Amino acid sequence: MNRTVLLVGIVISAVLVGILSVGLGKNPNEIRSPLIGKPAPSFALKEVGTGRTVDVADFKGKPVVVNFWATWCGPCWEEHPVLVANARMMQPNVQFLGVVFQDTEEKILSFLQQRGSAYPTVVDEKGKTAIAYGVGGVPETFFIDRNGVIVAKYNGPMNADAIRAHLDKVMR
Amino acid sequence: MILATLLLMLQLKVPDAAQFVGAPQGRPLAGQELLLRTDQVGSLLRCPVCQGMSVADSRAEMAVNMKGQVRELLERGYTEEQILQYFELSYGQFVLLKPKFEGVTSMVWLLPAIALLLGAAIVYFTLRKLSKAPPAPVAPQPEDEYMARVRDLVSGEKS
Repeated sequence: MNRTVLLVGIVISAVLVGILSVGLGKNPNEIRSPLIGKPAPSFALKEVGTGRTVDVADFKGKPVVVNFWATWCGPCWEEHPVLVANARMMQPNVQFLGVVFQDTEEKILSFLQQRGSAYPTVVDEKGKTAIAYGVGGVPETFFIDRNGVIVAKYNGPMNADAIRAHLDKVMR
Repeated sequence: MILATLLLMLQLKVPDAAQFVGAPQGRPLAGQELLLRTDQVGSLLRCPVCQGMSVADSRAEMAVNMKGQVRELLERGYTEEQILQYFELSYGQFVLLKPKFEGVTSMVWLLPAIALLLGAAIVYFTLRKLSKAPPAPVAPQPEDEYMARVRDLVSGEKS
């Protein structure tokens, strides 16, 4: 009996360790979104500063990087210079677009004036666009290919390596 | 100025549920019924920025926005099933507080039942084995030295 109990215990522990090791081995920033491989939800929102309407459909034909962020989010401050630098480097082959939600236009404008900007930033009133993209917390970044299909999603602040790796996917 | 604002509002466009789940399949709700159904449907959705709280219970801005969207969809005549499907298409099954009985998530429903049955079987077979086992023979106890002396003294007095 004791030997059987021991054997059952070992088998159950092995299964649990296996499941945990698979889960822990994954990059927590690379969360599989159900939207990957599907057409990006369309939206047209007001640009901060100019007030003009920016329609994501206008960028069809070239890869688009959509970054959801907010001025109250610390990690967004951290990734902002990386996004701006890469946007400057990749223009006009890749279009970057910032979508801000749960924030005020005044704060966004002040943030961009102080920290620089290289691409349009739009305001998502009531967070409807964020919900359609399945955004939980900011920052979250979506990579859309030239056909308007979401290729990848990155959770958390982006660094230069992560941006380059994901841009490679979207440029293919 | 008002005209310019109106024109801008007309140009603005947010992703529409119809893009994901088609036209509404229910009847538009209003008044008290709308409030009640908003809470009911909201209680089935997980707030993505909270710890195990529903959209109906959380006061987080994200949850408030999601609840607002549920209310708007119910107002437009979307059914509970369509609304849950809409959120699932963006967030995945994670957003559903009641996981579906399919694929790996079916384990959430099956494992407790399997564990209960397994436990009951172990208890049953252990008890059966114990009841069938012959009683252990009682080993003769070595006589206590003090008691032996008492017994000798008592038997000596009698004789």
